Amino acid sequence: MNKPRIVITGTGAVCAAGKQTQQILDAVCAGRSSIGPIRQWDTSGWPTSVAGEIADLNPREMVEDRKLHKLIRRTDLFGLYAAARAIDAAGLVASREALAPDAAAQYSDRTGVYVGSGGGNYDSQYDYFPLMTEANDSLPAFGRELSNTVNPMWLLRTLPNNVLGHIGIRHGFKGSNACITNHSIGGTLAVIEAMEALRNGEADRAIAVGHDAPIEPQMVLYYGDVGLLATDAIRPFDRRRDGSLFGEGGAALALETEASAAARGAKIVGEVLGGGSASDAQGLLAIRDDGDALARAIALALEDAGLRPDEVGMIAAHGNGTQQSDASEAAAIRRIFGANGKAPPTTAFKWAFGHLIAAAGILEAVLALRSLQERIVPGIATFESLDPACEGVPVSRQSQQPRSDVVLVLCRGFAGTNAALLLRAAM
Amino acid sequence: MAARRRVAITGLGLVTPVGNDVASTWKALLAGKSGGAPISLFDASGFPVRIASEVKGFDAVAAIGDKKLLKLANRSHGFALSAAEQALTDAGIRPTTANGERWGCAVGTGMMGVDFAELTAVHQHSAATGELDATRLLDDASANNPLVFCRSQSTTGVSLLTRRYGIRGYATSVHTACASGGQAIGTGLKLIRRGAVDRVLAGGFDSMISPVGIAGFCLLSALSADNDTPERASRPFDITRNGFLLGEGAGFLVLEEWEAARRRGAHVYAELAGDGNSLSSYRITDSPPDGDGPIQSMRQALSDAGATVADVDYINAHGTSTFMNDKSESAAIHVVFGERTKNVAVSSTKSSMGHLIAGAGAVEVAVCALAIRHGELPVNANLREPDPECDLNLVRESARRPVRVAISNSFGFGGSNSCVALRRPQDVDGTGFAA
Repeated sequence: MNKPRIVITGTGAVCAAGKQTQQILDAVCAGRSSIGPIRQWDTSGWPTSVAGEIADLNPREMVEDRKLHKLIRRTDLFGLYAAARAIDAAGLVASREALAPDAAAQYSDRTGVYVGSGGGNYDSQYDYFPLMTEANDSLPAFGRELSNTVNPMWLLRTLPNNVLGHIGIRHGFKGSNACITNHSIGGTLAVIEAMEALRNGEADRAIAVGHDAPIEPQMVLYYGDVGLLATDAIRPFDRRRDGSLFGEGGAALALETEASAAARGAKIVGEVLGGGSASDAQGLLAIRDDGDALARAIALALEDAGLRPDEVGMIAAHGNGTQQSDASEAAAIRRIFGANGKAPPTTAFKWAFGHLIAAAGILEAVLALRSLQERIVPGIATFESLDPACEGVPVSRQSQQPRSDVVLVLCRGFAGTNAALLLRAAM
Repeated sequence: MAARRRVAITGLGLVTPVGNDVASTWKALLAGKSGGAPISLFDASGFPVRIASEVKGFDAVAAIGDKKLLKLANRSHGFALSAAEQALTDAGIRPTTANGERWGCAVGTGMMGVDFAELTAVHQHSAATGELDATRLLDDASANNPLVFCRSQSTTGVSLLTRRYGIRGYATSVHTACASGGQAIGTGLKLIRRGAVDRVLAGGFDSMISPVGIAGFCLLSALSADNDTPERASRPFDITRNGFLLGEGAGFLVLEEWEAARRRGAHVYAELAGDGNSLSSYRITDSPPDGDGPIQSMRQALSDAGATVADVDYINAHGTSTFMNDKSESAAIHVVFGERTKNVAVSSTKSSMGHLIAGAGAVEVAVCALAIRHGELPVNANLREPDPECDLNLVRESARRPVRVAISNSFGFGGSNSCVALRRPQDVDGTGFAA
């Protein structure tokens, strides 16, 4: 059975390396890392004191509406910004404005929103510290003083689905939707679920977005404690790799059915060909050394897209720089593509701006798509020599040539979850 | 085009404020028994709201039997593990090494966070002045406890469930506030339909009955402050309603591809027949008074199920007992059902259980499956004076009545609306529930 084609008509992205897709890719291709000292708190004495922080964050530049800032958090700024860029690039709202009222209402009802969100943070609970101090750790006093001390909008600011709700309100989209709080694969699953909803006729077009802002003291501490963080840099698949580093930001893709794009005369920048997801089922932090679930996710994505491995022209690997994830990712790539350098030219992006957790996979999908359009597989500036455990993964310090117009984007998260996405770039 | 795969509900598990299993919860819902009581989980004496609908007498160790696993679980995960165990036992099937990759897991999960005791420990050590001193965090035992970390992640629930049962297919957590549970069930339906997996453990769980959770809702004035009459605090569609009663708990369902379920002789509660979801795009906390948003989700669910309004015999309403929700939902039901509104039985079982937030939708889909299975309707408890603006055929006393199609509404903060439609199994293939 032929699946309906799902096309990409706009993208948006923001992270430490820039506030536009092209600007971020240019930094990557120039070998420029945006990892730097964390400035949100004093990190002197911290084992890990660097991350891909958006240094010159101006909330008004992200979201112009000042009133909204009282209702959202840092992470939401990134999601709303990236979504607005993709919506503008695709002309999704502009197309509606040209319609008669009934057709416009129908258009809104048939426009979906799919979000991968971090699911919450520790700092939002820490908002209660002033009240706890005032109450001197007495609960009755905590209850009595509550409304005098805590922002009445606290719960709303904390909602993991804020970006979903506010995209709807700001852009008037009212169709099918999901907010996926599935750690690092959330953004990738947002793309997969949007694609499936469009294939299934639940909507005609959809915005898929991922966003996260994990750079907070408690997150850096916990991730460091369990051995996931690097000291100074992410070195994917390299012998010297010693962990990952946080980044922050958001990315979005405007997706539509071929018919919707044709009706609007929208410019097509690519296509979502297929996706797959599978789990290792070993617990929150454990991953299998053989990369079994990642390999199965890739196989499912290829089957979904109706592609053979040799038709993939480029891999955008998860490459988070931890010992175990990269080695098991390499095992999965070998299982699907063969051991002896048969895998297509591979890159990984996190070294340049950090691990965006819920937004990682979708940001990397946006960048991979643009890379293919420029016919380049960007090099990895922190890469020196391949870890023998990562054999079969053709990564390079220098840029490479893609073998075709198809990219495989890999994504892995806590709970042993894995997702694979296949995109085609319009050349 | 090949026929679309159908999905069967073959197992149910519940941990609710009115019963720690399916049988006791169902009995309480038929009787309209309330789970509301003064809060016992912490000293709420200074709070504007001092009542909630707590799960009672729950012994996680007895229910789960895996102490090691429970070290990685907070209160809500204990509920989830118990409800999931019940559902799998009820279905009489479990993932195996051979077929674990054809099982999926979709859960509606609450907001991530640490328990209040742990928050207090961090406060005392690292934020005694009221501001977090990041340097002090470095040697703060609670802030460095990997168990606290593992219990507080948004994917903790899905990690515990997939690990315990060896579920190796598509596994996901979703959060659309009070619609989370419904959206998780809808996700499970789609995963089986599109062939991503053949079986799904789907559900929702939550527990916000903590100082921070109650505080968040108090600040929004969303809760009923009927502190002297907790058992009457939740009264959806009553003219005197004044907010919701916060509940906690979990509901899980085993979903199976229809033919496979029938082949193995599974008892089928209902067909999980349709899913609809929409965005109100109106306000973060309210649905619009005219029902726009919920109207679309109900219509989609019926259309997806291949059902008409004439087929529907029961609506399990979102019915939170807030002024705006019940008014908006009633308006939406009137628009969708028109003349048939007076013949469709409606109840909000939040009148008994309170509002289980991310768990609500999943528990209420299970309630719809039970209504179909037993041909009996749970009541809308505490209804004394129906609001004329909510002119619905509300179930005031439990009644035996065949239910062909039931729908479950869930609407969340943020504007996500979920509607799930279930169909009586004998109307699919002539065979009823075979126990």
